[in-house]
Amino acid sequence: MKDIDRNLVRMSEEAPSSDSRRNFLKLAAFTGAAVSVARRPAFAVQKEMTFFAKDLSDEKLIDMYRTILKIRWHERTQADEMLTNTEYRGYNHFYAGQEAVATGVCAALRNDGPFEQIDLVYSSHRPSGHAIAKGVDIPTMVAEMDFRATGMNGGYGAEMHISDPSVGFIGADGMIGPAPVIASGSAFAMRARGSDQVAVVFAGDGNYAAPHFHSTLNNARLLDLPLIYVCENNLYHQYAHYRLSCPHDDIASAAAAYGIPAVTVDGQDVVQVYNAAKDAVDRARAGEGPTFIEAKTYRYYNHWGAPGAEAGKLGAFGYDPLAITSFRPERELRAWMQRDPVDISRAILVDWGVLEEQAALDMEDEIKAEIREAFDWALAQPLCKPEDGLKHVFAEGAVAARQFG
Amino acid sequence: MAQKSWMYAVLEAVQHEMQQDPAMTWIFELTPPVASNPGKPVINLETEFGRKRVVNTGIDENWMASAVLGAGLSGSKSATYIPYQGALIPFEVIQNVAGKLRLMTGGKASMPVVWVIEMTGQTPGFAGQHSCYEEDSYYMHIPGVRTVIPSTPYDAKGLMHAALRSPDPVVYLYPAGLRTLTEEVPDEPYEVPLNKAAVRMEGSDLTIVSSGGGMPGVLEAAETLKADGMGVEVIDLRTLKEMDTDTLVNSVGKTKRLLTVDQSYYTLCPGAEVIARVVENVDGVKVKRVAFPDAPPPASPEMFLWMRPDAQNVVEAARGLV
Repeated sequence: MKDIDRNLVRMSEEAPSSDSRRNFLKLAAFTGAAVSVARRPAFAVQKEMTFFAKDLSDEKLIDMYRTILKIRWHERTQADEMLTNTEYRGYNHFYAGQEAVATGVCAALRNDGPFEQIDLVYSSHRPSGHAIAKGVDIPTMVAEMDFRATGMNGGYGAEMHISDPSVGFIGADGMIGPAPVIASGSAFAMRARGSDQVAVVFAGDGNYAAPHFHSTLNNARLLDLPLIYVCENNLYHQYAHYRLSCPHDDIASAAAAYGIPAVTVDGQDVVQVYNAAKDAVDRARAGEGPTFIEAKTYRYYNHWGAPGAEAGKLGAFGYDPLAITSFRPERELRAWMQRDPVDISRAILVDWGVLEEQAALDMEDEIKAEIREAFDWALAQPLCKPEDGLKHVFAEGAVAARQFG
Repeated sequence: MAQKSWMYAVLEAVQHEMQQDPAMTWIFELTPPVASNPGKPVINLETEFGRKRVVNTGIDENWMASAVLGAGLSGSKSATYIPYQGALIPFEVIQNVAGKLRLMTGGKASMPVVWVIEMTGQTPGFAGQHSCYEEDSYYMHIPGVRTVIPSTPYDAKGLMHAALRSPDPVVYLYPAGLRTLTEEVPDEPYEVPLNKAAVRMEGSDLTIVSSGGGMPGVLEAAETLKADGMGVEVIDLRTLKEMDTDTLVNSVGKTKRLLTVDQSYYTLCPGAEVIARVVENVDGVKVKRVAFPDAPPPASPEMFLWMRPDAQNVVEAARGLV
């Protein structure tokens, strides 16, 4: 923590003038590949850009901190439900540890207004953090995760398939591959109809190997699409380390090869993520095309559900049978938890004089209670009617039951 | 001989073929080819054959499906394990290349290739993109590709041996809901033919035809019906392409009543093909088709479990026929 604080102070002292930043960005765009291929390019870029976040109102900064807390406590509360409540049927691919990525990116987006004007987010199969950051209603999302009739998607979708277009959260994608390409199609339409909207896709490191990754970036660059590809590199797809399927240390290097401005950011630091996203959004809205952001991050739970976790405790350190033969080193998890996105964002607010430490801690208690209430409401919601499963196949009507012969 | 799980039985066949043929390769993503079984040594293809022959790719089913085809065309027997969710991404290369290549080359192309393709869909709560039980219909439609769907560990092993030894490309559907089944499986290699259905129960009043994940429910229903005094003949298709028409026709020729049961969608489910073949060949047949409705499986267990054909549905449909 101390090191982070010192870094922040140093970075803010060194923040350059607006002019030099603009010049740097022009250069970066022009020589995108060269800038991005250099080792740890992001940190060089990021230093230039801290003042985006510093320009934000206290209210907005506090809102980002609150969003991180909402995601964190949603994940922890759900994990505890899975571990302790035998009646609970929901599950999740938990996002805890990665909160600053969704929060920093979505804070740079337009999330309110008519559907034709808001920015769109495509999520991965680890969707709850993106959904909350984009502004979905948490109680109905929680109800959806537990297959309730009054859930966000009527109990039809649940965890890996949640969606709320009204806030621009197009939805989770249970598949590895297609989402980025589809997101690029939204960006294509935005550009074609002269809108200043942007499309954002969150995808994990596992997506790198899919042909969709390469098709997305190639077409986004060729057509200068307002697409922001946020690669959440949490090191593992399911249980496989990303270096088993990617020859680059930084996946951003691959994006740079397609001629797309690409940065690598510390995904645990919401300010770094926000700054990169803001820059990308500005560029996309100005018609200057796509940006690739690789956020280095880590998940605190295992790939799926809460195996190895203990109720009331953050993170999963125990045995996960699904890992078969591939287990993450416990020391790796502990090391990442030392750089926790909640702690980092709180330290920033305190350091910048936005909040007193105690007020920030009190806020966490408030949010924790708010999320608990969301679960209490959601878990009392009605279950689905069986025959409703035949609806929503087409815009109108219902299909025939066939299970009775 | 020992009680073996499905995956252990399958990997035993793969292990044997890889030991026999040092050119054979196996490609997987995410799911390591590892299986253990009480009283038997752990099978781990990756450690036994090394990472040159047993490759853990990134999440890229397109590459996996195409790479085994290319390996086969170059003379190496090759197989890949494609998990659910990704199961139809390789469709193009299987349908439009592998399925047509032998004919296109006037019989010159040899494709000793197996795509093990997971099917899920029996588990309530997943659904949506995490249900792909309908893929039996897609693959069985392709000419030039053999499509098999074992429903027992014994058949799983025998069909794997036969598939790996076949010069034809084989889609080997793996109904993942059956992963918990165990039965006596010989240690020695043996083949289950790639074109033969299995008669699981004999009777003269009604023929029930199903396959893969539909079989446990059908067998349960058949026991109930038998206890009621109905003579039920149960046929497990095992191979969808080519479909064993003779076994179907012989059975329904006797029973004159046919009930098909599928976990995949009603339209073009395997049962639709079964019914067409039977009524073409047997006069005066009464038929009924039980299948999943033509709707993507919803997540809610209440909706899903009502829609998924179960033993009770089969019993009632059978009683309606006899």
